[in-house]
Amino acid sequence: MGLMRSFAGLLIGLPVVLTAQQVGNLDAPVVKPKSYVVYGAEPQSVAAGKRSVLELHFRVLDGYHVNSHTPKSELLIPTRIELQPAAGVKTEAVEYPVGTSYSFSFDPTEKLDVYTGAFTVKLPVVAEAGTHTVDATLRYQACDHAACYPPKSLPVQVIFTAK
Amino acid sequence: MKRSGLVFGVMVVGIALLLWAGWHNLRERRLAMQQAQENHVVLVPEKAGSAAQDSQSPEAEAMQMRGKVAPAFTLATLDGKKVSLSDYKGRPVLVNFWATWCGPCKVEMPWFEEFRKQYAAQGFEILGLADDVDAGKDAIAKVAQKTGVTYPILLTDGKIQKAYGGPDGMDYLPMSFYVDKNGVIVEETAGLGSKDEIEAHIKKIVASEATAAGGQ
Repeated sequence: MGLMRSFAGLLIGLPVVLTAQQVGNLDAPVVKPKSYVVYGAEPQSVAAGKRSVLELHFRVLDGYHVNSHTPKSELLIPTRIELQPAAGVKTEAVEYPVGTSYSFSFDPTEKLDVYTGAFTVKLPVVAEAGTHTVDATLRYQACDHAACYPPKSLPVQVIFTAK
Repeated sequence: MKRSGLVFGVMVVGIALLLWAGWHNLRERRLAMQQAQENHVVLVPEKAGSAAQDSQSPEAEAMQMRGKVAPAFTLATLDGKKVSLSDYKGRPVLVNFWATWCGPCKVEMPWFEEFRKQYAAQGFEILGLADDVDAGKDAIAKVAQKTGVTYPILLTDGKIQKAYGGPDGMDYLPMSFYVDKNGVIVEETAGLGSKDEIEAHIKKIVASEATAAGGQ
């Protein structure tokens, strides 16, 4: 009987032990950055007076995504570059990379078209000889797996030399 | 002697089965917990200029709306009708900021509609504040219709985002403020929570007692 009582005690105690091991903390605070895309500025050289392509390198911070230039819904805000006129530089239409397919885990049916990690935007130019700076703004709207962030503007300076 | 041996054997097998079941249950729950953690995020509002990594900074603390009286507002609905938070004095209200470009926002809106009907008898109401700078009324109305919501959708004016979100407005969406019958924000959530979590917050404000001095 003593043996049986011991087993009974073990059985009663078992669920308590199991439950205690399941407790976790889901409320750990997560602080969000103010910017979700960074620009990797690097001086470039092109041939003067000839059509050349400048590359603008961006990186979306880990854990986030931004809509591509061609998101799959008209309600989504596309990533785009707004260029300021620069003396001695003629710019052509910006070439955007293709996005990758993405779905939120809570809504696998809706397919989004996004940029994650590094992405490169190409800017065709024809420039006079000399050093030039093209001021631009990257407009984007980022989300992570559970929240979305208001549209942002990232100032960009494209510095290059035409020889 | 044989009978005791048989009983002991049955008990050993029973214990073994229970231990296996317990281990299996624990494993399943751990997987579920892991999944829940991956899909769950609690965001801490930050103020412009605050240290990005310092969640305990005074600025971050100052942005918490919990325990404060909900800032008053009067905004227009999609059809031009003026709605004030004070219209719901003595009633529990969920103030939800959302946007047409916000996927997580659109997931919880049908849940809100469901809870609105479920707790209507207790006076519960939801006000959906569209935090859209560029979207027109048509786009907002289209999303509202698609998500099936019938609660008032209000057009924001730029000021209300600052009153609830700080000098720069809302840092992220969805953002919800659970206002009790006394006009006090008892819960503030950022990002998509679980349906159960949302209902628990609603139950909290529905259960609150209205006081004579309170109200929106």
